[in-house]
Amino acid sequence: MVILDARNIVKIYGESLEEGSTTALGGISLSMKKGEFVAIMGPSGSGKTTILNILSGIDKPTSGEVVIEGKAISEMSTDELALFRRQQLGFVFQEFNLLDSLTVKENIMLPMILEKKGAAEMEEKVQSLSKFFGIDTILNKYPYNVSGGQGQRTAVSRALVNEPSIIFADEPTGNLDSKTSEVIMECFEKIVQELEATILLVTHDVFAASYCQKVVFIKDGVIHSYIVKKGNKKEFLNQIIDNLAVLGGSCHDI
Amino acid sequence: MTFKQVVWKMAKVHYKKYLLYLLCNSFVVMFFFMFSTLYFNEQIEQVKKLESLDYVLNIPAIALIIFSMFFITYAHGIFIKRRKSEFGLFIKLGMTNRDISKLLSLENTLIAFLAIVIGLLSGGVFSRLFFLLLINSVGLERISFQLNSKMFYFPIIIFIIIYFFAVGKSLYLILKQNLLQSLKSNKVAESIKLKSPKLGVLGLVLIIGSVLGLFITYGGPHAGEFLYIWFTITTVGLYLCLSQFMSFFLELAKQNNEFYYQRLLLLTSIDYKLRQLTSILMLVTMMIMITILYSTIIVSTYMLNEQEMLSRNPFDIAFLQPETKDNLSIADLDSILKNEENPVQQHIVIPLYSYYEKTYDGWYNLYNIMTVEHFNELTSKEVKLQGREYLHYLNVEPEYAGDENKVIQEWIIPGREGDITYSLKKTIIESNINSFLGLSDFIIVSKSELEFLKANVNGFASKLHLINVVNWKETRKTVEALEGIFDNEKIPPILDVRGENISQENPFQIASKIDGHNRNIHSNGMAFFVTTFLSIIFFFASFILLYLNLFSEIDKEKAKYQKLYNIGVTTTEVKRMICREITITFFIPTLSGMGLAFLYVISMTNKIGGILRNPEILWQFFSVSGIYLIIQIGFYLFAKRKMLSHLIQEK
Ligand SMILES: Nc1ncnc2c1ncn2[C@@H]1O[C@H](COP(=O)(O)OP(=O)(O)OP(=O)(O)O)[C@@H](O)[C@H]1O
Ligand SMILES: [Mg+2]
Repeated sequence: MVILDARNIVKIYGESLEEGSTTALGGISLSMKKGEFVAIMGPSGSGKTTILNILSGIDKPTSGEVVIEGKAISEMSTDELALFRRQQLGFVFQEFNLLDSLTVKENIMLPMILEKKGAAEMEEKVQSLSKFFGIDTILNKYPYNVSGGQGQRTAVSRALVNEPSIIFADEPTGNLDSKTSEVIMECFEKIVQELEATILLVTHDVFAASYCQKVVFIKDGVIHSYIVKKGNKKEFLNQIIDNLAVLGGSCHDI
Repeated sequence: MTFKQVVWKMAKVHYKKYLLYLLCNSFVVMFFFMFSTLYFNEQIEQVKKLESLDYVLNIPAIALIIFSMFFITYAHGIFIKRRKSEFGLFIKLGMTNRDISKLLSLENTLIAFLAIVIGLLSGGVFSRLFFLLLINSVGLERISFQLNSKMFYFPIIIFIIIYFFAVGKSLYLILKQNLLQSLKSNKVAESIKLKSPKLGVLGLVLIIGSVLGLFITYGGPHAGEFLYIWFTITTVGLYLCLSQFMSFFLELAKQNNEFYYQRLLLLTSIDYKLRQLTSILMLVTMMIMITILYSTIIVSTYMLNEQEMLSRNPFDIAFLQPETKDNLSIADLDSILKNEENPVQQHIVIPLYSYYEKTYDGWYNLYNIMTVEHFNELTSKEVKLQGREYLHYLNVEPEYAGDENKVIQEWIIPGREGDITYSLKKTIIESNINSFLGLSDFIIVSKSELEFLKANVNGFASKLHLINVVNWKETRKTVEALEGIFDNEKIPPILDVRGENISQENPFQIASKIDGHNRNIHSNGMAFFVTTFLSIIFFFASFILLYLNLFSEIDKEKAKYQKLYNIGVTTTEVKRMICREITITFFIPTLSGMGLAFLYVISMTNKIGGILRNPEILWQFFSVSGIYLIIQIGFYLFAKRKMLSHLIQEK
């Protein structure tokens, strides 16, 4: 079942054809099925964040179409998009994006609260998710009082709480050390395997990318190549490193 | 590019930071200067000495200084906070703490200089305008706008002192501390502070307790000293309440999950805001409370004085025409009183015969003898007297009668041929004659007895004129004309009878409503003028404070709403949230300030019979607060529009 289908996405910042305009994306097509776990990699400035924002409806493409679960999101209004995002999509960002004034528990619940779900249902959901990610002991703490890994696990729980069709993650391990990154990536792996979630991940980190089933490489705003995991994680990691070398440019995190 | 050029370039790019800071400081100088044009005005100083109005101006002066201290420190804090990240960068690039301090001193000296210039100029213009508008509307034409050197020293010196302390503190911190470290600790400082619902409850208890205390002690001995104590306790209580009460409420709300979760964002953001902005909100609350309370008190005092003036002056114009001045005929009087637009409605002329009785300790008692017919005309009574009977009539409000209410059964008056004795028929106490004439003790006898006394007792005759016109407010010219005629210098003194202890002016005084009214305007108008002046200053200041604190955190707010938008909060929902937050920051201080002022007004009116018996004070309170509220709503709408356009632009 196809969850996400993007056709020929073009994004130009600034007035096109004018001086100073940047073509961030030069026609990208991408499709994801349910239960897929895909990473997008590429050099800095290649358009990774841009494509992720467009696919998730935070940003609008200059041309091209994005269809999620059969709905063309490019045609929605800003408010419709926002509603669609909180009902159908989950997000994990590099800077966690947790609200300082809410506890961990309340942060996780936030999408459900916005949807005006019942208290009992929310409690139950938060309990099961926090147990799943091992953060049930810090539920009543505030974001600045928890570690980076705990914060990001909170963000992952929040992304899952509304049972989204697809989760978008932009460098979720970018602010974490390698040990904590591992924990987060294991979380992602676990939700793909156990909850059949669909995840699209943007990362610089080859180690993080090796957890995925497929890695798409982009360069200068177009898809350069992609590889699919066949063997184990170690083999896949080497394959990714080789591919990045071919891609050239400066991939600073290797 | 040299380092200096880099600094200069950054300053140019971030000119808005400087502009805001400069504006704040200019405001302080402006407020001070406007105030000192009032405080050091020579005519006002004279009035101050005469009417002991010092306190009216001293309390606000202190309030203004405290306020400025807070205001400058706050503005400076925001300025430094914004600059800190830049300083961090400079230090990483190789600037020393010493260089940073030098830079900071240079900037601040320049800003202080500009602030003084701008503040003095704008203050001068506004103060001029204010004098023009208000002096005329209050009717204090004698006071005119003027400038002298004291007016310049006061604001400049006070400003420099406060400013110096604020800047000095930052410089000290920068020289002493590792700046990079203080950059990091900034985050911790902004974290959520101590949460203690119990303290919130304690705050509420303190507020209620202090108001009750005021209620009980006000009107008793040492009410003034107690007032300071209660006010301090209220302030502490308010602080605790503002910072902690919301967490108490949150605890309560959490008992009901459905309720709590549905309002989670609102409740937590109120809690967060209240705790972050406690001191600002408290300052604004106090300022609003003082403004409203002060203006209510002054306007009420004026109105109470006016009422008392009316009750003490039953007739619009009253005067005593002594015998020595009897050459002024009724016709002459009529020509003075005659006025097409304001005709005389009633003119009672009562002949009096006054007799001074020397008391054993060398004082004189003044008795005014009047016929019973005139007495009946004056009081609309139907008293009849026979033979040597007399009525003792005291012209005072019964509640003020006090020990004057002594019963003299036998009134003995030494005649030229032996004592004459009258027996008391009745004592009557009521106020019918303008009290300012100084006539309080009357002996009422029959017409024939008065003739007899005139012939046999040493005294002097006079005529009491009691006049009512259509509109007493238009009698100013008439009263002035009468005062001219009865000028004391034209009247030969009657020292032989009255002795030196009794001023000769007393019997020749004219007691009129218009004079009382003018006196009232004069003493209260001054207070009213000052209060209005300060209210306006406080008003703008509180708005600037609220506005500053909304916009000083605008980048953080923007980031927060971006987060919310990213996880799928619609623009409509974001707008609603912003509106609620602004509403809270604007109306919590306004409403609690009004509430506290109201409680204080209630407590303070307890002395004069409670608020319900003084509806005019209540009315006064509500009109002052109403005006305040309306203007505040205007400010609120303005701030809201600005905020929304700042936060939701591109989307
Ligand atoms: N708001 C914007 N306005 C103009 N150009 C932009 C904007 N955002 C991104 N760009 C440009 O678009 C291109 C792609 O940017 P994008 O942020 O997608 O890169 P990225 O792959 O996420 O890089 P990184 O790995 O450094 O995060 C870059 O050349 C960038 O300069
Ligand atoms: Mg990026």
